[in-house]
Amino acid sequence: MLTVCHLYPDLLNLYGDRGNVAVFLRRCQWRGIPVRLLEVRFGESVDFTKVDFLFLGGGSDREQQLVVTDLLPRLANLRQAIEEGLVVLAICGGYQLLGHYYQTVEGRKLPGLGILDLYTEAGEDRLIGDVAVKVQVGGRSQILCGFENHSGRTFLGQVSPLGRVLRGFGNNGRDGTEGARYKNVFGTYLHGPLLPKNPAFADYLINLALARRGLEIMLPPLPDVLEKKAREVILRRLRLRGS
Amino acid sequence: MQVRMLSALWAGKITVKLARLAGGKGSSFPGKVALYLFPQALEAWAQKLNSRIIVVTGTNGKTTTNNMLASIFSSLGYRVLTNREGANLASGLASAFIRSASWKGNLSCDWALLEVDEAAFSKVTAHLKPAVVVVTNFFRDQLDRYGELDRTVSLVKEALSQLPPTKLVLNADDPLVVKLADTSHPVLFYGIGVPVRAGKEEESCREARFCPYCGRELQYQYYHYSQLGAYYCPGCGFARPPTQVEALAVRILDGHVSCQVRVGDQVVDCELPTLGFYNVYNALAVFGVGMWLGLSPEVIARELGRYVPATGRLQRFVHRGRPVYLNLVKNPAGFNETLRLLSMSSETKDVFIALNDNEADGRDVSWIWDVDLENLLPRSTVLSFVCSGRRAADMAVRLRYAGVPLGKIEVLPRLEDGVRTTLGGRGKSVYFLATYSALWPVEKLLRRYGKEERDADRLPSLS
Repeated sequence: MLTVCHLYPDLLNLYGDRGNVAVFLRRCQWRGIPVRLLEVRFGESVDFTKVDFLFLGGGSDREQQLVVTDLLPRLANLRQAIEEGLVVLAICGGYQLLGHYYQTVEGRKLPGLGILDLYTEAGEDRLIGDVAVKVQVGGRSQILCGFENHSGRTFLGQVSPLGRVLRGFGNNGRDGTEGARYKNVFGTYLHGPLLPKNPAFADYLINLALARRGLEIMLPPLPDVLEKKAREVILRRLRLRGS
Repeated sequence: MQVRMLSALWAGKITVKLARLAGGKGSSFPGKVALYLFPQALEAWAQKLNSRIIVVTGTNGKTTTNNMLASIFSSLGYRVLTNREGANLASGLASAFIRSASWKGNLSCDWALLEVDEAAFSKVTAHLKPAVVVVTNFFRDQLDRYGELDRTVSLVKEALSQLPPTKLVLNADDPLVVKLADTSHPVLFYGIGVPVRAGKEEESCREARFCPYCGRELQYQYYHYSQLGAYYCPGCGFARPPTQVEALAVRILDGHVSCQVRVGDQVVDCELPTLGFYNVYNALAVFGVGMWLGLSPEVIARELGRYVPATGRLQRFVHRGRPVYLNLVKNPAGFNETLRLLSMSSETKDVFIALNDNEADGRDVSWIWDVDLENLLPRSTVLSFVCSGRRAADMAVRLRYAGVPLGKIEVLPRLEDGVRTTLGGRGKSVYFLATYSALWPVEKLLRRYGKEERDADRLPSLS
């Protein structure tokens, strides 16, 4: 039984990112992998070491701050789970708050959780548009596509990027990096949402979660014809070939 | 000044003619030209009207509310100027004035009734100085253009606080709208004062879960939809304010909605010839405007009973004897309401969804994942889903993960292919849902293949 934890569906719920949770659950169910959903709201308790897939979406600045204050007292538990291989997907605001801090336009530094060695500075204008990123996961190269919409510019310290920007802005529109990866923690700016658009990446995350429980299995393929069509629309528009 | 004004007007008028020759509607571009030549044009025209201007803003319900107002004002003998639906940025408003103005610059109207995009509100209202401003609701809409909803609300609030005294008509059931009452303007609140529908709340698209003042989670006595309902904050006491216009009893019947409305201390019965529950809010907003202007609630109720929906507002067609509905969907809140309508009838139906991602639709289509398809989609009665438009495949993926079997989903990006295939279905009724830029092309196709039904009395039964 895999446990999926949607953290703060009440606070971090912008841009349809809950679609990522829906896709993770369905793709397990369609293959007969038992899975359950745990929605953990503000102030509710959870043992992260018992979770297999943790999802954090984006929210406005105010909501991100609430989340950080709620999570700080349980940081040790979350860190322990992450060191043991907990699979985490954090999008946009959720990604930013895993870093050291978020600096607002007025220059105020809002502290983050410091799980990923990165920081974010608010920019004047928003980075908006279709985006494609080349990533190396599980020894294979994949193109992730999605839609980005953020004013924050994220700069990485000693942490690897999730991938290289092929089209779009990525972390900051300057250094060509997109997202960050530490162990099984994945942070990214890609909405769309990410997993419906990138079913191979969704399956990769499912495999990681299973492997952490000692299950190394080949996932049977699913008929992803519609997903493929949806990807092609974006890839063609960005003048990229292949999947 | 007069010379610049006239040259801008003439340039605009000539552009209207050229746009029509080119087959367009000329609903925005002429205004753009005029504003380029004379940036103060809106202000100058507004002055001519001596603030006989009503502005309707908010996320959903602008067009319907404004059209309802227009039909009532017309029936009272006023000449009205309205902007064309969707042409609700500065250029669209200027185009409306250009159409109404004579070549000498005189306006042939008594009142201007303008729907204004909530994100453009702060830029245009300072020029207009309206007598009355209506704010319907705030939902997530096209976030890629506007940034987060919080910002939109504060921009509207700031714009209001800079206006000279304006009478406000605010939706009391939306905590985000009620925040606007903090400005110094006189306020009249409207709302639905009784629970109408029992059922699951769709948490995923409640915009305002937390008190805008103290941050505590808002509690609800009852919900209508999204964040609209009777809310109160257990922390600071912020709550749905008392209303001056209130729906006391609302019944959703076959093909129409019946309600009792209290306007001040008077109560009138009102029959709305529409399927959409949310149109009660639009009607209440109209009663609110009427109350500020001293219009008779009976006259308003009578006119609302004859209201003919605008393009894509549950517009009715007939195709081979079957009812066909066309409805605009542009954000999760409106899409959810449309799904509820689909569930109201137990007849079989075919459903068409056109999803575009042009500027007017919002470039980001991820909002379809905030639509509560999982809980609101009537599964057994829908025979087929045809996904169309530029992002047809994205819609199809969304349906797949909501649990719709692959065999029921068809992807036909070309609108014409999609419309024809859908009309060829076996369902007893047909529903066409379309995002903004797909709406008019789909309407055109439906006119070609079917016949529009405009008589409210011959509404086909839905149950």
